Amino acid sequence: MSDHYPLPETPAQQNISFELNGEAVTRSASDAGTLLDILRESGQITSARPGCRVGRCGACQVLLDGCAVPSCLVMAWQLPGRHVQTVEGLNKDPDFLAVRDALASESALQCGYCTPGFAVSLVAGIRQRRQGSKVDLTECVAGNLCRCTGYGGLRRAIARLAAPGCADEADGRSTSEQEKL
Amino acid sequence: MTSENLQGAVRKLMTLDGNSVRNATSKMDLAPRIEGGLAYATDQRHLPGLLHGAILRSTCAHALITRVDTSRALNMPGVHAVIKADDVPGLNRFGIVIRDQPVFCDDRVRYEGDAIAAVAADTPEQARAALDAIEVDYQPLPVVSDASLAEQQTAIHSSHEEHGGSNLLVRETLECGDIDDALSRCTVIAEHHYQTPRQMHVFMETEGGVAIPDGKGGVLFRVGCQSGHRDVEQLADILGVAREKVAVESMATGGAFGGKDELTVQPAAGLLALKTGRPVMIHLDRFESCRAGIKRHPVSVKMTTGCDAAGRLLAHKVEAVLDTGAYASLGPAVLENYLDHATAPLYRIEAYRVSGRLVYTNNGVCGAFRGFGGNQATFAVESQLDELARGLGIEPATLRRINLRSPGDAGSRNQTVRWTAPPADVLAAAVASPLWSRGDTDNGRWLTGTGMAMGAQGNGLGDGLPDSGGGRISLSPAGRICVEFGFTDYGQNIVESITRSVCNGVGCREADVEVVLGSSRGPDSGPTSASRSTVLVHGVLASILPRWMDAVRGHAARVSGQPEKGLEFGPGGIFSDGRQVLSYRELAESTNPGGMTANASQDFPVAPDSEHPVGRYLQLQIATVARVEVDRITGRVRVTDLHHVTAAGPVIYPPGYLGQIEGAAVMGQGMTLTEDMTAHEGRYQADNLDQYLIPTFHDAPLQRVDVLDNTPEDDPYPVRGVGELGIEAVAPAITAAIEAATGVRVRRLPVDPGDLLVAMAAQEQNL
Repeated sequence: MSDHYPLPETPAQQNISFELNGEAVTRSASDAGTLLDILRESGQITSARPGCRVGRCGACQVLLDGCAVPSCLVMAWQLPGRHVQTVEGLNKDPDFLAVRDALASESALQCGYCTPGFAVSLVAGIRQRRQGSKVDLTECVAGNLCRCTGYGGLRRAIARLAAPGCADEADGRSTSEQEKL
Repeated sequence: MTSENLQGAVRKLMTLDGNSVRNATSKMDLAPRIEGGLAYATDQRHLPGLLHGAILRSTCAHALITRVDTSRALNMPGVHAVIKADDVPGLNRFGIVIRDQPVFCDDRVRYEGDAIAAVAADTPEQARAALDAIEVDYQPLPVVSDASLAEQQTAIHSSHEEHGGSNLLVRETLECGDIDDALSRCTVIAEHHYQTPRQMHVFMETEGGVAIPDGKGGVLFRVGCQSGHRDVEQLADILGVAREKVAVESMATGGAFGGKDELTVQPAAGLLALKTGRPVMIHLDRFESCRAGIKRHPVSVKMTTGCDAAGRLLAHKVEAVLDTGAYASLGPAVLENYLDHATAPLYRIEAYRVSGRLVYTNNGVCGAFRGFGGNQATFAVESQLDELARGLGIEPATLRRINLRSPGDAGSRNQTVRWTAPPADVLAAAVASPLWSRGDTDNGRWLTGTGMAMGAQGNGLGDGLPDSGGGRISLSPAGRICVEFGFTDYGQNIVESITRSVCNGVGCREADVEVVLGSSRGPDSGPTSASRSTVLVHGVLASILPRWMDAVRGHAARVSGQPEKGLEFGPGGIFSDGRQVLSYRELAESTNPGGMTANASQDFPVAPDSEHPVGRYLQLQIATVARVEVDRITGRVRVTDLHHVTAAGPVIYPPGYLGQIEGAAVMGQGMTLTEDMTAHEGRYQADNLDQYLIPTFHDAPLQRVDVLDNTPEDDPYPVRGVGELGIEAVAPAITAAIEAATGVRVRRLPVDPGDLLVAMAAQEQNL
């Protein structure tokens, strides 16, 4: 790993202030630090998880000013004044609860390590959709990897979230194709 | 392949789909996983005094180490300890089958990723900075990079006498009948080479966890793992302490798939914890996991298979080379399972000679991976059957039907076999798949095709390996029925499956059951591997529950004053005449802690044929039908549909069963289409998930799982494990579908779109 992250021997630390799950926080971070590092080091946020640290797996996905982003690609210096939400701060949010229930009832997870990341991506998609954007929820999870499930449960969960009541024409082939097969 | 006469073949077919999942999903375990509250091994940042460890890895694939200088690193800020080979108090070696892998290399490195030293520091950054300050001098050696040539090159383990100075680690041949005579009588012979890739597990949680010293010379490990009791043995020997001093609690593990069966970060973390007296966390990042972690064995095989004019299989010759990399890990067992599957367990063959060689190279390390060599063999075997069918001018399904074993037949190793269903029923159900009726199409750009393959999967460690497992049931002080096993929960739905079985057996509700897994201080259940947990759980519960329930009922009768005969277990407590007379909590309060405990251990069921049974006794079958689209412009292959017919006994927990088949199948699709950790001169060509591509949501096909549950009434072990079954037949089904679409047979995985395009062009020129 030292090959990939050449770091100064004593990385400079600075205090960074931002909003985390509705609370103003100030955290010490190194120049090379990322939002993921800050969240993990606090020990209180475990839902954002390192999977690749290059923005390809989505396991560290959080909401940054309402947009789903991999927290490993957000540098500490970009944070002042921004709003960060993780699933720890979403546990009363109706959109998250809808996502949680869909994932649980469709058994869309196995080991669960990737699941908060998927949930964050879907919450962002549902919110965008409510604001009138045409959103394909399957596109929202294109940046999230799951190695356990083969995505079958996720496909069923997304079909449920896209069903009438959550008016959306998300995945053209999800439910109907599945039943047909 | 056309539809065949199915009359009366399929007796019990149940489709697992969204409805069966929704009706059966247990909510108990899922919410914390979604809300982020479930603690994984790598989440334990809150431990007081926690230090962060990091491991220095070799930068050479093969070299002598002439100097390791840690003095500068020791003086770096925040550093508490730096350790290397001469700091290992016990055995500086580990390995499940052969202890040939150094904890820290002393004289030589054998792969890029071999561990040389480790550091514990206050922060991860300080630990990494200290690694950079360790000086290592290497004297490079020739790199053994080509498994097929490895035996001719200087041995990388020449210092170890047990390997006889050769890179050949194991050579094994299975034989049946007179192969030369059988070959001479064949009407059609197919002879081809097949290659399968070095697949990476890509568990989302990379290897990691903490080692916590107890202050009395012992260490507790909370690390993602698959076999706590076995890890204790290896770790005690490395740490140079008695086994009682070492404990393992497997935390929730973010995926494993075999890749956490071998020790990963435990040796370095444990040594640093003892040296510093403080808890030490090591969590590999993905770069390090790619470089140092276990992979699937790449296999290169030549198969010569022949049949007579009636399509009966007469002869089957196999010569395989498996690249185990720098260390054995579970390679010898993978070779055994490869060879077992290469005998084509589903089919009657008059004579075979199946031989394989497991060789050392400097290409990383390979070991356990879901399928465990079996799916690599099945890819080649099933492809060979398609070649013979083409040679004879008959349908692939017809050739299979002619040769499939019947339930009364012995297995391919002449052992007694318990099939879950007649293999012919599985084939018939697959041929009835509606995917066939959609036909092969060509819209100018996208060519579609449908293909099918079958697979058999044994449960259990096999071939006479010691294989047993225990469990325990008790009433917890809080009044819950507590069931303990040594297995790890790494996402295979084992908690739900155990809970469901206890509820069914006892008559209680889910909330009454507490499942405790993965403590080396609890019952030894053996490794969480080889699709064996489900079988053992059900065997142990079958023996333990009646005894325990009798004891509890007797106690309840004494406490309540009710006649024992009328007492029944129910939701929340003990009932008499439909009325609850005691809650489980009241029952627990009326006895000493641990007062109502029952233990049982069971040997894994093996063929009762001899003292050293060979092959697998409990067999499962699958047939997978794949539908693909091939892009005529780019050669890209999309798998649009996978339809599986499984015969694996009754479904205990439908969402778990469905999820295991779907997940394994997409993993098999990855191996077929995109995944290969190629090595050049011992250097892996991908170092993260931006180069090593696993299937995403949009690559995943629509899947359907039809369960054939007509296990014979007299089968004493009807409940089987399905953790590996789904990967077995995916690759040959996809390549059969590609052939249906394009006329090109792909024998080297993953499918190379460029090669496919070239072959398609050649094919069109020939037409």
